Amino acid sequence: MSLFSLLSVSGSGMGAQRVRAQLLVENLANAETTRTPEGGPYRRKDAVFSSQPQSSPFSAMFQAEIAGGQTGVGVADIVEDTREPVKRYMPGHPDAGPDGYVAFPRINPAEDMVDLMNATRNYQANVSAIGAVRDMIHRTLDLLR
Amino acid sequence: MLNPIAGNLERYMDLLAARQKLVASNIANADTPGYKTRDIDFQFEFMSLASGAGTNLRAAVPNVINAPDLVAKNDGNNVSIDRESRLLSETALRFNLASSLLRGQIQLVRSAIKEGRTG
Repeated sequence: MSLFSLLSVSGSGMGAQRVRAQLLVENLANAETTRTPEGGPYRRKDAVFSSQPQSSPFSAMFQAEIAGGQTGVGVADIVEDTREPVKRYMPGHPDAGPDGYVAFPRINPAEDMVDLMNATRNYQANVSAIGAVRDMIHRTLDLLR
Repeated sequence: MLNPIAGNLERYMDLLAARQKLVASNIANADTPGYKTRDIDFQFEFMSLASGAGTNLRAAVPNVINAPDLVAKNDGNNVSIDRESRLLSETALRFNLASSLLRGQIQLVRSAIKEGRTG
């Protein structure tokens, strides 16, 4: 039973939250983007998390212990918002349709900021977990002194 | 060589480490849809470990249960960050206490060895 494997669990949590924060920041930056390589306005992206076993070089040897507990997290999928874009009447805009309406991304800054705060707090929780585990490892090492 | 207290302390620390593992994975999965908080029945596991002293290591892997009495969110996830942070610090503190006690036990043996050498 190794305390060191906990660090990779918390590390996977930090990585997943970082990917999520990255997508949310991308959403905020593209709130007014009307052109994308796929055509049409930008669509809001979000990450879907799933729990995943953390593999390590010793995983085969300790498979029984892994089954007994540590599950990390990973980004299973990145989904795009399927809601209709917002139409704004701007006849002079180069991307305006024949009716004079421009399709803008449906991005609500409040929604993204709340999710971003959530991602930040969860990242911090993972960092605290690493701190606590590190303290436990230090205590164990101190037994030898 | 060490007295039975040290053996019990060792098992206690093993269990605390196992619980800390579950807490860490609960925190990592705080946003995973459908994830259920996992925990171990601490009292029961410690009692069964303490009574079966000297059994093989395989038996020392505790049973993982889903934590009871937690409210699930809309996405089926029932991780409570408050509960997990409390458990995180509680487990770390208990571990510190146990390791200090174990250190005392080791120091006892060490001082006996030293006295024998000088005397």
